[in-house]
Amino acid sequence: MEVLVAQIFNGLSIGSIYVLLVTGFNLLLLVAMIIHFSFPVVVVFSMYMAWITLQITGGNVLLSVLASVVSAILINMATAPLFQHIMKKRGSVDINATMVISMGIGMVITDYLSHNLNHGFPIAFPDNFTGAGKGALVNLGLIHISFGQILTLGVGIVAVLGLFWILYKTKHGRAFRAIAENPDGAKLVGIPLLKTGLLSYALTGLLGGVTAVLMAILLGSASPGLGDQLGHKVLAVSIIAGLGNLHGGLVIGLLLGIVEAVIQGYWAGSWSNAVAFGIMLVAILVKPKGIFGTKL
Amino acid sequence: MSLTLFYFLGIAAIYILMSWAIYIPYRMGQLHFMTVANMAISAYFAAVATLSWGWPFWLVLIAGTLLGALIGWIASFAIGDAPCFAVVIVGFTLIYLTKTIIENTEALGGPLGIFSIPKIIEGTSAANRHVILIIVYLLVLLVGYLIYRMDHSRLGRAASSIFIDRELATTFGVNVKKMGMFLQTFGSAIGGMSGVMYLFIMRAISPNHFTFHLIGVCMTMLFVGGYTTQWGVLIAAPLLWGIPLILPESVQSWKIVIYGVLLISVLVVKPEGFITRPFLSKISHRIQKILFKKVEDKI
Repeated sequence: MEVLVAQIFNGLSIGSIYVLLVTGFNLLLLVAMIIHFSFPVVVVFSMYMAWITLQITGGNVLLSVLASVVSAILINMATAPLFQHIMKKRGSVDINATMVISMGIGMVITDYLSHNLNHGFPIAFPDNFTGAGKGALVNLGLIHISFGQILTLGVGIVAVLGLFWILYKTKHGRAFRAIAENPDGAKLVGIPLLKTGLLSYALTGLLGGVTAVLMAILLGSASPGLGDQLGHKVLAVSIIAGLGNLHGGLVIGLLLGIVEAVIQGYWAGSWSNAVAFGIMLVAILVKPKGIFGTKL
Repeated sequence: MSLTLFYFLGIAAIYILMSWAIYIPYRMGQLHFMTVANMAISAYFAAVATLSWGWPFWLVLIAGTLLGALIGWIASFAIGDAPCFAVVIVGFTLIYLTKTIIENTEALGGPLGIFSIPKIIEGTSAANRHVILIIVYLLVLLVGYLIYRMDHSRLGRAASSIFIDRELATTFGVNVKKMGMFLQTFGSAIGGMSGVMYLFIMRAISPNHFTFHLIGVCMTMLFVGGYTTQWGVLIAAPLLWGIPLILPESVQSWKIVIYGVLLISVLVVKPEGFITRPFLSKISHRIQKILFKKVEDKI
């Protein structure tokens, strides 16, 4: 029983990372109308930027957090014209083409990371960044709750609440939701589609940067292939929840984290991932259009 | 024939077949990456059937192709009419599952894979290589002919109509699910066939080959060549696979970055790729003009 409780708590921390990634992914899908499959690759790139800053500055945590957030926003903004161009050229939004472009961006970033940074070897974040040196904050038998887990869960909740506040309580949020509901209607009432779309890139970049920092704290390491694996999971979560369904993504993201962690508690390393992917495969095959319904 | 030339020609043929395997379901707008998993499953099946059960090459080739088709057909019951992104994720998930099972199964050689696959004919290695190349290019011709027939039939037109407007196609009486099931099964069969041929070309197999990189490379060949006709792949695959081989080694290692940049650039500048239907009809008109002029001059 203790193992189960411990793994559920672990699952909540990693689940909150999935929730952040899925929320960013869904926001881009709803407002910018792109399937940014490689959004998690951008997040992993930002983890690398934080790591480089730590190396250069001799372990300055604040600057590395800043580097992570700024790099995620910059990459998102720099790639925005590519997606916008495709959408303009096709007359109407071609979601398949945006997914292929995103895969291309992922290929470039992943291969760049595996060639240029740390000679392609995984990177490890120092204890002063992850807080691992402080040991577990809570020790109850088999249940160890670390500083990183509490921080990830806490910041994850605050970030998602903040995003939902922006979406439902601010003028920009209303514009986001209007575009998501009816782009033509939104244009008719004077909402600037391009500007609002670009704002969604910046906002998801900010979310991506924060997620990168939380992932660095929680996982303590990163490798070039991490982004592809996360991209795969994020798309799967989004499809199982229902593409573009923000609330569904929240539930399924947390659920995936818990399921993965519980399986890991009872199964050996790579098999646990296979079991999680098996469950996702069955869920997609049974309900390819999502459990909570698509919002596209 | 040098080994380098053999591997260039052999792997180019595999890339043509694999890119066609993705092209076929994309005729109706589905990126069916499951073909990479089909390739891996059939290749490992072929390795076990050859080494442990002593099956002859022809039987292995037919069984591997049918196995690919069977897996694609079963999955197509669920995703035959699914949206593109659902088909994509099912493909990725199956690739990951296949890789994990292979890497953790000792009987399949684990992460190292299976080696010492026998030659398909008795005799020298050079003769074996010639026979393999003849077979793989005959298969390219056969698959190319089948795709050509499909593209120029009611099936091809129905697939195109689904690609352009799924709802309109349904109104015209096109059965989207049946069409998806047919195209996915066809693509998976070619994926399985490519896996068997890849095994006998390399005479070894490892799970490291069946990665997201392989998808990226095939996708680049399809989209750069042009996804609206079958001919784009035929030209893009040998060029994109061959050109990096003659570049300096320091540049070669950036192959995936080059493919990625190329893929993005082509999608932005020429979204349908280089070989498009209008391009082909322009060329065919020019050829007809030249031929008619020669005939007129003679008369």
